Amino acid sequence: MILEARDVTVRYGGLVALDGVSLAVPDRSIVGLIGPNGAGKTTFFGVLSGLVRPRAGTVALAGADVTRRSPQARARLGLARTFQRLELFGELTVREHVLLAHRQGRGSPFTRFARDLVGLGARTDPEEDAAVTSVLELFGLAAAADRPAAALGLGTGRLVELARAVATRPRVLLLDEPSSGLDARETAQLAEVLRRLRDDRDVALVLVEHDVEMVLSLARRVTVLDFGQVIAEGTPDEIRADAAVQAAYLGTTT
Amino acid sequence: MTLYVVTGLVVGSVYAIATLGLVLTYSSTRVFNFAHGAIAYFLAVVFYELTVEHGWDGRVAGAATILVVSPLLGLALWAVLFRRLADTPPPVRLVSTIGLWVALPALTRIVFEGDRYERPSMVFDPPHQYRLLGVGVDSNQVAVVVAAAVIAVAMTILLRATPFGLAVRATVDAPRMAAVVGVNTSLVSAGAWMVGTTLAGVAGVLLGSYRGFDEVQFTFLVLGSFAAVVIARMHSLVLAFAGSILLGLVQELSKSTRVTDFLGGFVDSQSVWVRGLPASIPFLVMLVFLLAYRGLGRERFVVAAPAADDDDAPPTRAPAAWRRILPVVCCLAAVAVAPAFLSGLWEGIVAKGLALGIVFLSYTVVTGEGGMISLCQVTFAGLAASVTADLATNHGMDVLVAVPLAALAAVPIGLVAALPSLRLGDLYLALATLAFAVLVQNTFFELDWVANDGVGIAVPRPEGFGDDLPFYYLLVALFTVTAVVVRNLKRSTTGLELAATRSSEPATATIGVSVERTKLFAFGASAFLAGAGGGLYAVYGGFADPDQYDVLIGVVWLAVVVTWGVRSIAGALLAGLAFAVFPQLVTEHLSSTWRELPTVLFGLGAIGLAREPRGVVHQVVHGHRDRRRRRVERRAARAAVAAP
Repeated sequence: MILEARDVTVRYGGLVALDGVSLAVPDRSIVGLIGPNGAGKTTFFGVLSGLVRPRAGTVALAGADVTRRSPQARARLGLARTFQRLELFGELTVREHVLLAHRQGRGSPFTRFARDLVGLGARTDPEEDAAVTSVLELFGLAAAADRPAAALGLGTGRLVELARAVATRPRVLLLDEPSSGLDARETAQLAEVLRRLRDDRDVALVLVEHDVEMVLSLARRVTVLDFGQVIAEGTPDEIRADAAVQAAYLGTTT
Repeated sequence: MTLYVVTGLVVGSVYAIATLGLVLTYSSTRVFNFAHGAIAYFLAVVFYELTVEHGWDGRVAGAATILVVSPLLGLALWAVLFRRLADTPPPVRLVSTIGLWVALPALTRIVFEGDRYERPSMVFDPPHQYRLLGVGVDSNQVAVVVAAAVIAVAMTILLRATPFGLAVRATVDAPRMAAVVGVNTSLVSAGAWMVGTTLAGVAGVLLGSYRGFDEVQFTFLVLGSFAAVVIARMHSLVLAFAGSILLGLVQELSKSTRVTDFLGGFVDSQSVWVRGLPASIPFLVMLVFLLAYRGLGRERFVVAAPAADDDDAPPTRAPAAWRRILPVVCCLAAVAVAPAFLSGLWEGIVAKGLALGIVFLSYTVVTGEGGMISLCQVTFAGLAASVTADLATNHGMDVLVAVPLAALAAVPIGLVAALPSLRLGDLYLALATLAFAVLVQNTFFELDWVANDGVGIAVPRPEGFGDDLPFYYLLVALFTVTAVVVRNLKRSTTGLELAATRSSEPATATIGVSVERTKLFAFGASAFLAGAGGGLYAVYGGFADPDQYDVLIGVVWLAVVVTWGVRSIAGALLAGLAFAVFPQLVTEHLSSTWRELPTVLFGLGAIGLAREPRGVVHQVVHGHRDRRRRRVERRAARAAVAAP
């Protein structure tokens, strides 16, 4: 298991956002996480990536307990994510997003500060350029590379978030609604890119999606959340047939 | 002891009136009004002028000030400033009201000259005297407490149980939706500012007649009410009231002999640590609450981002490198040849501007790149200046060694001051740095070896640079070196990290950048720069005089820097030169009435940011590009309309 969460519980005041949620992500696999609005999917991603402290439960990354580690520490251990509401660096260009992500975890921060101050920090070496360009090309962003993120549309912005996350060379990537705001063609392209990430770059993916069909077609296993609890877990076929899932989505009482 | 309880209640009541006004305007418009105290002072002076200079009866003058002048001022300020702030990014919002804080008192001094020693009374003149629990209480004190209680109740009813209150709450939560369902949001925010300003007027008139019209004392008293706003977490009227009263009580009780005697058991009761305590209490309390409250960092301003769906727009190319460094190169070239044309006096003025320019580069790092509003850069400068002077004069160290050493000593102080930034968003951080600056000013700057009877420690010029011209070119060289370092920083990985942190902290952290480290680095580097510049400023002047590094001067510095451009190196240089040159120009060419004119202009400049947040330099250098783009857009729009 590259990523494993056990019995994660989060409370906001009296509200239970997550109640004993567990999730296991095997290496090089795609795992889906679905559920109606307000089910706690985004909060769960917050716990996995270290932005939300759980009341109880543990998160393990590549076998190491990271429950108390910071988001940046988890990132260095190979966890990356995107956001449902875009969190881009408005004034940086697309290339700079990727470059900054690519540079993380390389060299001691203090020698880097020193290099930055004397003016050596602005240069890029050929190897760095090649790595950045390959990520940009993977997402078809080469043409937009020198545009500031603030000037991008929603679809391009999602791709920049993905590119930024991939540039950190993650072993597991959390995707929060990557297809929202994309049209059908773009969604199909996205699905293809996700498969290539898994197959070519050996990245495990956790996919939170509104587009249930997309999840069911990509994922090996799917977990369904409702009101902060896991109501179903299984293969896409099992999920399709599950009565509780249908009830949660269609609102029929069983 | 009981005496202090009475005065504490009165001071607390004044705090409460000021605080309720702040809470009202913040919670109905999301603009924190740093100028609240300045407005209160202005209105207090209006009251003084009416009653003392024009002989109006105190009650008439008070009523006229509170019921007529105050709401009109609120309406005017809303029309020219506050109205525009709703749609601006948070730092601009903060800096605009800071600009008003700078401009208004200076304007007050221009319009109403002279000193104000009398104590006109608003309500009862002469007051009735009562005895209560063995202490004398006069009717004016009672009136203040009653006024506070009445206002608190009225505000609660206004916000909770009237249509206006409902409209206010709707407007705060969702301005557009409120407008859609028929709330006149302009009317609501204008109303809130009128009421808020009126409360500032009440606080000003009462505080003036109770404690006098000395501006500095007045300002710090009203600043103390910021602590109560923090206690109230900007929203709660109940906590605002209770916190104010508590603050007033604690502050007054700390003056009682029982407390000073108790403290005297630990430190010399005549030392600054005891003498500075009463004035420091609101700021101590503010820091404690800022650090103790959980989740303040999450209370962020939500700024509606402009619709950014213009994928078809031509890529905005970054300006060429030569164009970006053109302004600063031109300025430096002009400064380098200037001595050929300048008299000795003006050469000195420009040198002063250069030293300040180095201080102002520290804002470029912490505010421009780091996106954090710091009100304590002046403190770093002052601390380093004193240490520089001490090392050079009292320990015989070469000045050119002492300056960087003292600047290094400012770095840990800067890191301590930065600690709140790890947890706090824009506004609370600005308040925390303000509290920190006031605390250092009340203690360290008052130490005997620092203050040195009000003149500060003498600092010699460096060996070989004793004459004005060599020293001038030394400063040019040092500014250039510092500018190059700052420019390197902006373009480096660290610069990218700062830009990333400014935009989105969660995203920055989840790509593996430590937001904490990045912010600490920005603060540490800026403390070094401010310290180095502060040291050189003292060397220029010959003395490390703490009065030159007053908190309120720091506020003016911030206004000047943001006016010229906090993102640009040329902006820092021009701000330094402007801060040095303008006052001298006014002294030479205008009468003493206009002495405060530069300060007014600096403040107005910061207010003007609501229109062009990137500052004057950006406007001059890139304005033509923006104008051309707008022209093209207008033409395209006209063509689109004309086409069938």
